[in-house]
Order: sequence, then structure tokens, then C-alpha cells
Amino acid sequence: MSEAQQLARRQQRVEELCAGAIRALSGETDLHFRGRRLHRGRQRLPLFAPHLHPAIESDDFGSFRGAADGLALRLTLSDVTLHARHCPQDPVQRLVFELLEQMRVESLVPEGLHGVVHNLRHRFQQWSLAFHRSRLTDSARGILLYTVAQVCRARVTGEPVLDETEDLMEATRAALAPALGSDLAGLRRQRHDQAAYAPHALAIARLVGEMLRSADAEEGASGEATDAEDSERAAFSLVMELDARVEEGIAAAVSGHSRVFAAAQEQYRVYTRAYDREVAATALARTEVLHEHRLQLDRLVAAAGLNGMRLARELKAILARPVHDGWDGAMEEGRIDGRRLAQLIASPTERRLFRSEHVAAEADCVLAFLIDCSGSMKQHIEPVAVLVDLFARALEQAGVASEVLGFSTGAWNGGRARRDWQRAGQPPLPGRLNEVCHMVFKDADTRWRRARLGMAALLKADLFREGIDGEAVEWAVARLQARPEARKLLVVVSDGCPMDGATNLANDAYYLDNHLRQVLQRHERLAQVEICALGVGLDLSPFYSRCQALDLGTAPRPAVLRDILQLLTRPARR
Amino acid sequence: MTELNAWRPERLLDVRAVFGIDSDLQVPAFTERDEHVPEIDEVYRFDRDTTLAILAGFMRNRRVMVQGLHGTGKSTHVEQVAARLNWPCVRINLDGHISRLDLVGKDAVVLREGQQVTEFQEGIVPWALQRPVALVFDEYDAGRPDVMFVIQRLLERDGRFTLLDQNRVLAPHPFFRLFATANTVGLGNLNGLYHGAQKLNHAQIDRWNIVATLNYLPAAEEMAIVAARVPALAGEGSRALLRSMVALAELTRNGFATGDLSTLMSPRTVITWAENIEIFRDPAVAFRLSFLNKCDEDERALVAEYFQRAFDRDIDEAYRLSE
Repeated sequence: MSEAQQLARRQQRVEELCAGAIRALSGETDLHFRGRRLHRGRQRLPLFAPHLHPAIESDDFGSFRGAADGLALRLTLSDVTLHARHCPQDPVQRLVFELLEQMRVESLVPEGLHGVVHNLRHRFQQWSLAFHRSRLTDSARGILLYTVAQVCRARVTGEPVLDETEDLMEATRAALAPALGSDLAGLRRQRHDQAAYAPHALAIARLVGEMLRSADAEEGASGEATDAEDSERAAFSLVMELDARVEEGIAAAVSGHSRVFAAAQEQYRVYTRAYDREVAATALARTEVLHEHRLQLDRLVAAAGLNGMRLARELKAILARPVHDGWDGAMEEGRIDGRRLAQLIASPTERRLFRSEHVAAEADCVLAFLIDCSGSMKQHIEPVAVLVDLFARALEQAGVASEVLGFSTGAWNGGRARRDWQRAGQPPLPGRLNEVCHMVFKDADTRWRRARLGMAALLKADLFREGIDGEAVEWAVARLQARPEARKLLVVVSDGCPMDGATNLANDAYYLDNHLRQVLQRHERLAQVEICALGVGLDLSPFYSRCQALDLGTAPRPAVLRDILQLLTRPARR
Repeated sequence: MTELNAWRPERLLDVRAVFGIDSDLQVPAFTERDEHVPEIDEVYRFDRDTTLAILAGFMRNRRVMVQGLHGTGKSTHVEQVAARLNWPCVRINLDGHISRLDLVGKDAVVLREGQQVTEFQEGIVPWALQRPVALVFDEYDAGRPDVMFVIQRLLERDGRFTLLDQNRVLAPHPFFRLFATANTVGLGNLNGLYHGAQKLNHAQIDRWNIVATLNYLPAAEEMAIVAARVPALAGEGSRALLRSMVALAELTRNGFATGDLSTLMSPRTVITWAENIEIFRDPAVAFRLSFLNKCDEDERALVAEYFQRAFDRDIDEAYRLSE
């Protein structure tokens, strides 16, 4: 698990750097990665070309750089409307056309950026080798596409083709040459003019499309081309098979579209609230058990050896704002203090007649942790509990009110809510179908010292059931909104998407996902409460615009604290 | 006083010949160089629009304010124009502690024939007002707005200046000129770069006849400036290096504009970097010493990415996957 967490951390770091480079190269402000795809604001950008999507497990950092540079050039140098006007419908032709347009922009690197040229070449070579080594070039279709890609790129950019496969392509290249010759020359000549380039690219795309059809006929495999119709990814499936397989194992939260949720006009339904409860954590277990857990938690905190005082100082630096707080008297400069004028008469040499405003740092702020207590979190709860305990104490020292909240369900598989539903004859689309359980481990008015026992309840293993995130976020936000502090922060700690077996069965797989997304979008727009998320070994960017993947391992290290502090300071990218 | 009044520009200079700008304008210039005329910097390169704005100030007696990010050479620009016109030029750096008395003048105790006498001493403004001098207020937006009202009337073309302390009214010399340079346009420190910049009174900003903006130049211009400043990099062999340096500077400016970096490379930084390359012989080492160490620690990995893009080399700060 720790390896997966490291991978998620690494992925996030690489994406941050790449997105930064893309922003600098293109000059666009709101570009960022969410769930491994480049987004402009909330809008997802097209895939553009197959070689622009390296995978963290198999590709090197140079490949990511190359892909980022390719994306940046595509965004700056290619006219979207012009491109869309020419783009063919047929998936294979479209793939070739996209690829050729990408090669065009990659040949137009602005002067002075030698590294970009190198990165682009490196990425294309890596992609080509991966394509070749996965034996995709063994089929007639594969070698044809591969040769077209290699030859076209060599011509457009004026760089030589890959040595390793030059011999392999020889026959196909010779067969292609007479048909492509004039258009290839046209590509090179017109690469500065997108409109004049497009007809040549289209001609090549059409030709390749026809050749592929005949190649299919020869191989007798016609099914493959026809099923590539609905999603845009399908257009690339031919070349992106490699990546599609890897994508299963990634540590990004997977989400999809819920038809049920959309059909109900995004009105979230709850079958019954009769069994929902909100409990104080101290009521969850007997006091003796809590004392035992508290001892264990104290041992863990001590073993982690994290510097709480330093954390408190840093939190204060981040969250506190200077406020006017009375006056400093007897100063050598500042405003004249009327009460001291008599002293000037009495002793004319006395200079300390002034007073100045005293400024103090004060945090008018409340921060709440909302901890996902779903079944899978059980294995991470020790480091999470250590972190939360440490933060609660440090926040208190920094003068920031803090809450520790949790959410789970009252039962597995729907519990009494599902039984009621079954008794009522299973009406269709019941909405959420479980007993929601919201837990308060520490509320903002309780000092850490008095909440010690409550926090220990985090270690109680039988709390962890299923997770209904959307409602929990709404509950936590509502609690924060009722607080008098000016700045309100909510930090969600989770290791997965919303999960509830009964609800998913009775509705559809992404019902709760879509609700969470709706809730987050609404609150991000309102911006009364700043919501960020800590993904335990998981990239939560498909849901949250401010999130950080954590590598907790068995005990949190100082680097984790730094990550969290950075998350709190980082502005939201929309 | 009559002597001062007789002191006026006697000849006309051809703008195209003197400033290398495509324009048919002729500007008045003095024949003799006064002690206040700045030294001519032979390799200085003039930006067309800004130069024309400043020249309009000299020719037509307009009040010109030059605004732009730091390190773009705003003050030097005014100074170099004045140097070529042999026009005396006095620069005043404004700061939050400059008071009305400093500008207008104050009573001071002086010794006269062995006696202590209180005498009015003119400040810089009345002094300059009576001479053919170009007065440049540097960092205009650092001056306290309430104090800056002293020059309110001067901003009008024939505005006279009343010395309240002396019951005198001064008429400005016909060749007195007033300029200002500022980082902001008087709206305060919006982007967090210019600590200490004040919000200015817009009734006053409104009185400036011409506001010229001097921001970063096209890459070719900037390369020429760096090459002119650092002769060691002027050769054809260093062109590629210069091009990459300027490209990197542009990346940092974009990075600043998109909010990724909290600092950026000004043309002055690029020149310093070029000079440091002369010393250290290695662009990467010189880059670290001239810019990278000024960046926030969290931003260095991103700056290393920019460096890799321009130079195809990784510096130590660059992120590595194996970490």
C-alpha cells in the first residue's frame, strides 16, 4: 500500500511541475491536471494525440516533460475552431489527423527553447519504443500506423526516424512512399500555416483510413473498427490500448456519470432519514475502552516524533492575520502621547513621549477535519489519528478553533433503511439507502485536553463501515457556517470515493459520486467555506479542486506535515 | 535670474539620427553640457513608444509619467534622453519619509558675518522650477499621497508655484520639465511585488498628460540590450545562449503572470546573469547566483523545469522521479 501511496505522491508532484511548465509556455492561467487529464478551468481538454499521455508506472520524467511541452505547444499554436472544422468523422482518420496536427505544432518550437525540442523528441521516441515493444507493430494495422507516424514526424520536424525500427518499417515505407510523397512534402512546406497544412494532413488521413480498411479485410477482423464509436477515447483505442490497460491500476479516484442522478435533475434523494444519527464520539465506546485507545494513541504520537510546537508556529504564520491590539507607550517615535507632555516640560531631555499601534497576529479561523470512516480507512486510521491529534493540539496553540468529525454508516448493506425499502415493495430509484452516522470526535468549543478521550475513539475498529461523502461534506459545511469565525476551512481526509453497497445496487454505480461532486461544486462556488482534501494514497483531483495525495506509510513523517501546510496555503485552481 | 531665463535650447536634433527611431521629429536641444546633464550611455537602446512619449514631454512641455515593472529601465530612459539633448536632469527618489518641507524649502539657521540668522532655504522644487531642468520623481508611487499635493499645481502647464513661507509666487522657467516613474499606476501594491507602493490620489494622476507604459520588450530587443551591455556575449557565437536566456526570462514572466512564481526575471536580472556568466563561465552556476537563489524554495523545482526547457540541462534543484 505504501508503494501505491508513494506512486500517487509522485504522480501529483510530476503533474504539478508539468502543469506549471505548461502554464508558463502557453501563458494560460487556469490549466491544471485533474484525474490525469489536462483541464482548462472545469473543462476537460481533448486527448489530442496518443503519445501525450505517459504513465507514471512505466515512463520516465523526461516523457512527462515532453508530453507537457507537446500539450503547451498544441494549446498555443493550434487554432481549435479551424482544427474542428477539418477534423474527419471516421475514428481512424481522425486519429491520424490529430497526430499530424500535433506533429505540426511540435515542429514549431519557439527559438531558444532547446530543452523543449529535446523533450518532445524524447517523448515521441519513448512512445514509439513502447508501441513497438508491446508487439503492436506485429499486425498489419499496427505497422501501418506506426510507419505513418514515424515517416510523417521525420518529415515535418526534419528529425531522423528511430534507428531501432528503421529496418522493420522499410517495406511498409516503400509501399507508402509513392502514395504519400507529394502530401508529405506539403506537410513540411506548409507547417507554419494551419489552414494550408490541413488539406495535406486530411489526404494522408484518408489514405491511411482506406489502407487500414483493406488491411482489415485481409485479416478478416472487421469488428474492431466498428465498435470504436461513442467515447472520444475510443478513437485512440487502437494506439492507446497500451495505456488503457495500465490505467486500471492507477491511484486516481475513478468516477463516472450517473444516469439515475442526471435523470432526477440532480436532485439527491434519501429514502429515509429515520435512522440517521449524529453522535458524540465519547458515546461510542465505554470509558475504559476509550482510555485504552487513548494510551495507544499517545504512544503512537510519541513514536512519530513530530514537532508540534513548530507545527503550531507554522500554522499561526499561515492562518493568522495582523490586527490592531492596543498601544505601545513610551516609544521614541510614533504619535505623540498627550499624557506624557507634562513630562517633557519637567524633563526636556526625555525623548520617550510617543506611542505606537501594537499589532498582534490573531487567527480568526476555524478548521475542521472530516474523516472518512469507511471500511478501507481502517488500515490507515493509526497515522491519520496521529496526524489529526497533532493538528488539533497545534491549532489550539495557534489560536485556531478546530473540529474533528467523521462519517460512516450505522450498518452494512443498508441496514434498517434497506429493510424498510424492501418491506415497501422495493419502489424504484429510492436514493440513498443506509443509516448515515455522523460522528463528532472533537467540536470547536471543546479544548483539546477535554476532547482527548473523544479523539481516541478514532481507533475503535468497528466504526468503519461504508461512506456517504456528499451528505457528510454538507453536514460539516453546515456546522462550520454556524461558527462565528471569519475564515472557515474544511479538510476532508479520505482514501476513496463514496461507497455504499445498498445505495449503489438500488440506484447505479456513480450515484453517490455525482452527489459529492455536485455538493463540492456548489460550495466551491459559494466560497464561504474553503474545502480541501487529503487523499490517503489517492489522487482526489476528480472531485476536489484543492487536494493533496499523502504518503502516510505506517506513521506520518515531517514531509507530510509540510504537504498539508502547503495545501492550506495553496489557492484553489478552478 | 535673467541669466537663467536666457538659457534656452538653441538647436534642433534629428530624432532618427540621435535615437535610432523611425520618426521625422526634430527636438530642441542645448548646445552646452551643464554639470547636471547625465553622462551619455552609448549602447543604450531606446524603446520607440516610450522615447516618443518622453520627447513629447521635452518638446511640448507635457508632464510625462513612465510606468512599468521593475528593471525595465524607466528612470534610465528619461535620463538617457536628457543626456542626448544636453538637458540638465535631476532625479529625486521619493520615499515615505520625504515631507513637504524637503520639497518646498524650510527655515534654517545659517551663519552670516559671525551671527546666527534664520534664513529660508529653497527646497528642490523651487530651485528646479526656475531653471531649464528636467525634474524626475523616481518611485513616484512611494511618495506619501498627501505630500505629493505640493506639486499639484506644477502639473498644470503654466502652473505657478506659491511659496507660502515667503509670500512669493514663482513662475516656472519655460524649459522646466517634470517627469515621474512608478511601478504601479497609483492603485497600490496589487500583485504583491511592490511593497511600500502607495495608493495615489487620482485627481493627481489625472493631471499627468502622458502616461507611458514600459514593460518587457520583444525578445530580439532584449537580446540586443543584453549583448550591448555585456560585450563578451555580443558575438554571433553567443546568440544561441542569449536567445535561451531571454526565452527563460519570458517563461518566468509567464509563470509570474499565471501565479506560479512570486518573483520574475527583469531585463536587469538577465543583464546581471549575463555579467555573472562572464565571471563564472557556466550559465547554470550564474543562473543560480543571479536568480534562482532569490526564489522561494518551493518554487525552485518549477524554475528548474523552466531552465531545462531553455537549456536542455538539469540543475540540482530539478525534480527526479527516483526520489
